[in-house]
Amino acid sequence: MREGHIEQVERWALFVKENPTKWKKIHTDFIDALFEKHDSFREKLLQMPNGKEKLQKLYNIKNKEGYNWLK
Amino acid sequence: MQREVKDRNILDKFCEEFCAIVEKHCKYIVVSGFLAIASGRTRGTEDIDMIIERLDFDKFKLLFQDLTQKGFVCMQSSDAEEVYSYLKDNISVRFTRKDKELPEMEVKFVKDILDEYQLKTRVKLELTGLDVWFSNVNVNIAFKEELLKSSKDLEDARHLRIVYAEQVDEKEIQSVKQLIQRFRL
Repeated sequence: MREGHIEQVERWALFVKENPTKWKKIHTDFIDALFEKHDSFREKLLQMPNGKEKLQKLYNIKNKEGYNWLK
Repeated sequence: MQREVKDRNILDKFCEEFCAIVEKHCKYIVVSGFLAIASGRTRGTEDIDMIIERLDFDKFKLLFQDLTQKGFVCMQSSDAEEVYSYLKDNISVRFTRKDKELPEMEVKFVKDILDEYQLKTRVKLELTGLDVWFSNVNVNIAFKEELLKSSKDLEDARHLRIVYAEQVDEKEIQSVKQLIQRFRL
């Protein structure tokens, strides 16, 4: 376990436990931001040479039919 | 405590939509990382892990068709027979929304007594605000502390021990750890 980081994990877990109506908004913003970041990365990658192939390889997509951007 | 729809993050919505479809066809559980994340742990993940009961091909085909009709795609193949052959061999299969590579639902069949125990003792967790069946908290703590053991997993276990302090049962955790020693290590 990462020393120091575990204290931060414990502090946040206590906040969640003690603030059942407050934690979710902060948490939702955090999780959504990760996916928004991915979406902007994805758009940039798809514009680069071989971007499609790289994205396909990154996510190990075998079924091209399911993803229009791969066609 | 039922949360409002606006509180749902991208992973929550994806998970609830997928689970609502699976629920109509078989028993399932969501396990591991997403349980910790849905319970407030602040870390990212690209996939959610799901275990479903073993189905015969005809029943699986209906589930597969339902998922496809509702906009989900299997990353390995669009052919139900091929996807079923992976599951039957205890290989997980991954689903996403059509045209989106993330997030993923990684699905596998129950494979041993430990998976059966998780399915039998599945729970809904009020703190998550989600209408989803999870494997119980003690089993997840045991897996993370005894089998998975990465920094991320040990921190997940610590988080679960704090937020679900009242549900933590050391006796159950120990007995699941013994099963892990016997069947998975």
